[in-house]
Amino acid sequence: MPLGPSSSAVHLQPVPSSSTPPTARAPSNVTVHPVALFSILDHYLRRTDTQERVIGTLLGTRTENGDVVDVRSAFAVLHSESSEQVAVDMEYHRTMYELYQRTNPKEVIVGWYATGTNLNTYSALIQNFYSQETAPHPAIHIALNTGTEEGQESGVKAYISSPVGVYPKPENAVFLPIPVDLRFNDAERSGLELLASPTPLPASDIALLESTLQTVLGMIDRVLAYVRAVLAGEKQGDKAIGRYLLETFASGTDDLDKGGFAASLQDTLMMSYLANLVRAQAEVSTRLALVTSS
Amino acid sequence: MAAALAASLPAPQAAPTPAAPTYEAIPASMSKVIDIEADIPLTAVQLDGLAVSKITKHSSDSHSTPVHGLLLGLDLDGILEVSNSFPLPHHASDEDDKTSKGAARYQASMLRSLKEVRADDSVVGFYQSTTMGAFFSQTLIDTQAIHQDKLRHGGIVVVHDISQTSKGNASFRAFRLTAAFLDAYKKRSFSSQSLIDRRMTYSSILEEVPLKIRTNPLLDAFLNTLKTPHSSALPGVHPAESVTSSLPPSFSALDLGNAALTRNLEHTIEALDSYRVEEGNLAYLSRQIAREKARADTYVAKRKEENLARVAQGLPPLPEEDVNRLFKLPPEPSRLESLLLLGQVDAYAKTLEGTSSSNLVKMYAAKADAGV
Repeated sequence: MPLGPSSSAVHLQPVPSSSTPPTARAPSNVTVHPVALFSILDHYLRRTDTQERVIGTLLGTRTENGDVVDVRSAFAVLHSESSEQVAVDMEYHRTMYELYQRTNPKEVIVGWYATGTNLNTYSALIQNFYSQETAPHPAIHIALNTGTEEGQESGVKAYISSPVGVYPKPENAVFLPIPVDLRFNDAERSGLELLASPTPLPASDIALLESTLQTVLGMIDRVLAYVRAVLAGEKQGDKAIGRYLLETFASGTDDLDKGGFAASLQDTLMMSYLANLVRAQAEVSTRLALVTSS
Repeated sequence: MAAALAASLPAPQAAPTPAAPTYEAIPASMSKVIDIEADIPLTAVQLDGLAVSKITKHSSDSHSTPVHGLLLGLDLDGILEVSNSFPLPHHASDEDDKTSKGAARYQASMLRSLKEVRADDSVVGFYQSTTMGAFFSQTLIDTQAIHQDKLRHGGIVVVHDISQTSKGNASFRAFRLTAAFLDAYKKRSFSSQSLIDRRMTYSSILEEVPLKIRTNPLLDAFLNTLKTPHSSALPGVHPAESVTSSLPPSFSALDLGNAALTRNLEHTIEALDSYRVEEGNLAYLSRQIAREKARADTYVAKRKEENLARVAQGLPPLPEEDVNRLFKLPPEPSRLESLLLLGQVDAYAKTLEGTSSSNLVKMYAAKADAGV
């Protein structure tokens, strides 16, 4: 799933050839987990007044040939920028990396992040530093636009760099954009949904089910309205949509009707009964322990 | 049945009213809400979005083994604001001195590092992941009891249920130990008499603190951008792909699969089994105590009778003080373990109950002609 506004960049991917060793490939795709993005945003909120942007280290995993980089977490790194120089606290970066390694040894340094969209000489210098950290793999750079400045939409962009010029210098680099996606597993997705809901409160199972069913009902209503409009000739029907609908509604509930429903219902009711029985027994048992023998 | 089910469901709302945006009012004076002495009791826990996502990630990374970490934040006017968290390395099973020292060092340097980037660095509690809602465990109680002494307000524990979360309902609950339990814990007395005195059941070990989730405005804005679908700029793409959103709605709550139900049932049975074993142990111990007591009593009675006879004959009575030395009464067994196990059983059964009732609803929803 893409992050941020779609760009006009054409992402070229080298054709894998058997002659090149698999480790030498530059990443062609970046996936980011929400927790990394949230860490970056939190770091941005806690910056000092003088800081234009904040930077930090990205941790994650790579596929075997280095093709896809999965950014799984991020931590803040101290740095200072002035018109003359840029300084990154290397020692802090190392310490933090070691601390993170203790709880998650699988995640390694894959690159760095910065807020804002500004790619300048300093970015090239920092990129150069991180390339040494991630060698032999190339480092990736994620630019997160927080959208706090006027006229800018928030979004995430990922870059890899390549040296430029006849005599490559660390402060010169070309940043090549590569596609970046948001990635989450089931647990992370429900966490995200909890955060994105208008009233973030942990809800019960039934309440969640109800809201999901309401959404499905709303979708069915929408489809029904569309189909009616097409049938009445008010709208030009789209063949692709029609085929989609046919596919979706073709799956029937026949197997449920063939006695499976009753059996399943019995099982579920039995389970519910059993659960209630166990709870009642547990309650009685704990109360009985409080009864004195006298 | 179907009609009864329909009646038991909450009435459908006419239209989901859009939640009015609420603004966080800045109080005129902070003097009332800041308490240095920790006098204002905690009434609620507020979990920040960052902490939510970090806990979810940490818990889901290590699949079934329970994980724990520390919560960082501040309390303000009775609301404990948890703004950050970090995972703790997994304990080895044998807790030797070296690993615990290493853990302490890790914790200290992590806090120092976080302070350098201006993040909150005061520990307010810890979090623990669990499956199927059963979080009663000796370690949780022990850790929380240590925290209750050391931290301001005694600290809280946030329990995160992995099995619920992977089903689509992110579940977070906050707890702290009750005063009665803490009292008993400090005195290390979990005999039946002590439990009776304190009217202690498994439900009175922990008390739940209301928990709410907060997202800061920047995160909120970012999430909203993610949620908003934007149409593709390219012409002639498939309708399914032309409008994309980074966060499409998920319908995982509608999944009819009941693999989790089976596992839940297995867990319940396991917990019941271990409870039975524990009860057996307790019964054995109390029988032993009763036997020893009976033997001691008969000995004392016999000695008394003998003494009476001796006094009648005019002889000096034999001493009576060595009863306690002759018969060693075993100490009364601690009932804490059985209490916790009972709590486990109850929690598993509660989850089972919830899952089966929502399954019932799902089944009727899937049946086309259920007549609901």
